[in-house]
Amino acid sequence: MLSTLVPAIGFGIVTASILAVAGVGFTLQFGVTNILNLAYGDIMTAAAFVAYLVTSAGLSVWLALLAGGAFGAVFSVLLNRFVYTPFVRRGTRLFGMIIVTIAVSLIVQNALLAIFGANFFTLQMPRPTSVHIAGMVFTTVQLAIIGIAVVVMLGIHVLLRYTKLGKAMRATATDPELARNCGIATDRVIDLAWGISGALCGLAGVILVMNVGSFTDTTGAQFLIPIVAVAVLGGIGQPYGAMLAALVIGIASELAAAIFSPEYKDVVAFVILVIVLIARPQGILSEVATGKEVAA
Amino acid sequence: MSVAWQFYISTVLVYLGVDVIACWGLNLQFGVAGLINFAFIIFQAAGAYTAAVLTLGPARPATQGGFQQYVGGAHWPFPLPILAAGVVGGLLALLVGSFGIRRLRSDYEAMVMLVVSLIATSVVTNQVGLVNGPNGLALVPKPLASIVNLSPIGYQWLFVGLTAGVCVCVYWLVHIVTSSPLGRTLRAVRDNEQAAAALGKNVTGLRMVAFVLGGVIAGISGAILVEFISAWSPGSWLYPETFVYFTAVIVGGLGNDLGVMVGALLVPVAFLEATRFIPQFGPPGFIDALQWIVVGVLALVFLWFWPRGVIPERRRRFPPAAEGEGEQQLVSTEAGP
Amino acid sequence: MSESAGALLTVTDLHRQFGGVHAVNGASFHVPPGRITGLIGPNGAGKSTALNVIAGALKPTAGKISYQGQDITGLPSYQVARRGIIRTFQISSEFARLTVLENLLVAAPGQRGEALWQAALGKRYWRPQERATVQRARHLMARFDMSAKEDEYAGNLSGGQKRLLELMRGLMAGPALLLLDEPMAGVNPSLARRIERYLLELHGEGLTMLMIEHELAVVERLCDLVIVMAQGRVISQGTMAEIRTDREVLDAYLIG
Repeated sequence: MLSTLVPAIGFGIVTASILAVAGVGFTLQFGVTNILNLAYGDIMTAAAFVAYLVTSAGLSVWLALLAGGAFGAVFSVLLNRFVYTPFVRRGTRLFGMIIVTIAVSLIVQNALLAIFGANFFTLQMPRPTSVHIAGMVFTTVQLAIIGIAVVVMLGIHVLLRYTKLGKAMRATATDPELARNCGIATDRVIDLAWGISGALCGLAGVILVMNVGSFTDTTGAQFLIPIVAVAVLGGIGQPYGAMLAALVIGIASELAAAIFSPEYKDVVAFVILVIVLIARPQGILSEVATGKEVAA
Repeated sequence: MSVAWQFYISTVLVYLGVDVIACWGLNLQFGVAGLINFAFIIFQAAGAYTAAVLTLGPARPATQGGFQQYVGGAHWPFPLPILAAGVVGGLLALLVGSFGIRRLRSDYEAMVMLVVSLIATSVVTNQVGLVNGPNGLALVPKPLASIVNLSPIGYQWLFVGLTAGVCVCVYWLVHIVTSSPLGRTLRAVRDNEQAAAALGKNVTGLRMVAFVLGGVIAGISGAILVEFISAWSPGSWLYPETFVYFTAVIVGGLGNDLGVMVGALLVPVAFLEATRFIPQFGPPGFIDALQWIVVGVLALVFLWFWPRGVIPERRRRFPPAAEGEGEQQLVSTEAGP
Repeated sequence: MSESAGALLTVTDLHRQFGGVHAVNGASFHVPPGRITGLIGPNGAGKSTALNVIAGALKPTAGKISYQGQDITGLPSYQVARRGIIRTFQISSEFARLTVLENLLVAAPGQRGEALWQAALGKRYWRPQERATVQRARHLMARFDMSAKEDEYAGNLSGGQKRLLELMRGLMAGPALLLLDEPMAGVNPSLARRIERYLLELHGEGLTMLMIEHELAVVERLCDLVIVMAQGRVISQGTMAEIRTDREVLDAYLIG
């Protein structure tokens, strides 16, 4: 039994790394602007396609990562500026916004389908080699993914704790009215929040496809549920909670796959999400998010 | 009119009927009671499965030439499988509702529903013994086919008639709710549940009523569809389908039974059917992808310009006291706040 | 001071905390029948929280609430309302997409046609009662001078009109005890005076009220009895005259 469990934990760490990057981005969006962006997974896929185009042109995979992240950032800022915020300003309430985000998700996903067709794609990367650490097997690609995730998490930590922007974001997340009255330029903060979380989204999309190998138009969307599970389990708007939750869900789902069968990998995330939503909607770390309306 | 055209039109009419019924159910949950049920399609699917299994008869083991494995089965005559489908839809709603309709923030609630539908699809697709796995069920006998001896086209029109009959029944059910004090109280709960509770309304109980009724109606619509196309597979019941219904209800007019009919006509039928006539160009699946893009854009456009829908919820007026007897007048006016 | 034995509502050692904050920290008081009782105190005293707990919108972390001799502690808000305790909200809580008349109709208790089987019986079953309720609602609207707005969507009303609607809706429910959460907050002075007049009329008709109010002049005019809260506890009860001289009260308001 142990011989299957330990490697599963290794896979779990890789999955957790991807979930952490994606989850922190998602929870930042949700926390600062109160929008449940169900198009998030599809933006990840789009970023992956951008990375694909970059590597197909013969450029290095690191450039592709950068391109994916940049695409994610730009697209998300524009999406919020020109689609989400106008609807919010128009008075669309929470559930109306869900329908808006699902509409965007459908549009993005099908645009990718229309452009690229229903095929499977892979990023052109140098062939990875295997590394053995403590009974777990990692490819160099996976180690790179873990490394990227760690760097990103540290960066976010520094941003939130030590920079003015980070503090402004935390203030806006807690109470947008108050933040505005304190002179915080909430519009700028929101733009930057979407930019940063969008970059995380794009990055997550690229490292996701680096890990799974082949991807198609629905790959990102399928990852959305575990991402939401991570955000909710960690507490909405709580990046540190999301990091912890990513570890829990990433490892738990890989263990479930090893113990039961691979089909149950996603089910674990689903079930955790449902249980948390019912038993403790505020997540493992935060205080209750009351019925805040959308920040605009 | 040529037989081919008759076939096409009668088919479209049946689909329209099914969609109208489903949208009425969704409208009851979403438009009147304010419940966001993204797992709606599951109730329709459950009803379809129930009707299929109760018409197919018990599964024959492979040794006797059977090739489908599923749970349950009987040979019930029409209309029993359809009624049973409604019951199953209602029971499922009771189950899901008892843990899904809590004081969750409305978009959390939506997430729960969405996830429930995904779990259900995942389980059903993977467990072959349950409903024959990803292949679903096929060869469901058509209702009344053995009793009535009609040409294929004659049978089509018979089915249209049956569907219309069910539509009338469902409309009655929906109408008695929306035009009664129950409907008014449900709308009040939708608008401000705290205030409604402070006036003595049992919010959870009321929402359950709307949710279960919606589930019953969804089940019935699924049953009619499966009896018509004689097959059922998990792949046809994914969450984008629920989104189509939501779009139809919003486009047509949330909270208005007539508006919702228009929405059902516009979105699932007129729009998705219209693309049938566009010659296939581009790689396979290209047209389908475009369809979905337009559905998404449509939803955004309508939500922007007509947040209340094509035929919005009606303002209800009451006759002045001096008139004595008189029906409650329902006057169409411009949209509300 | 009234005898607590005859009290309509008795609150004993009520506690309610949020995380580390003790919003209500051992409050005890009683509300006598047939009077307007004021609930006053500086900001953060716990008045709104106490009202919310009584109304069932929040559960107490400790303590007991008894009404007409029965223990109602911890009952959900709809059950509290069904026993005759009706509360109004400080923030507008009208049913925005229903008309003013419909808002009032919803409030009427014991309606035929509200249960599914009753609705199924059809208009002939519930229409006559509804017509009577419509009459009652129209009388109420005439009394409050809101008849012109009968068919207006409640969401379209002005702030002051929503206040009146809040009050009318509460009255439609036929309360034995009306809990008013700052009924005149944010309302222009002439409307505030109008509301005061209505409240006095209702008092004259024997309605028991518990009212949270900030303006002491209003409290003086309207309330027979005043309960003073500070920092989650009741620090004084009595008539306005008695309260004015109470040292603890003066301290509380000065420190605020």
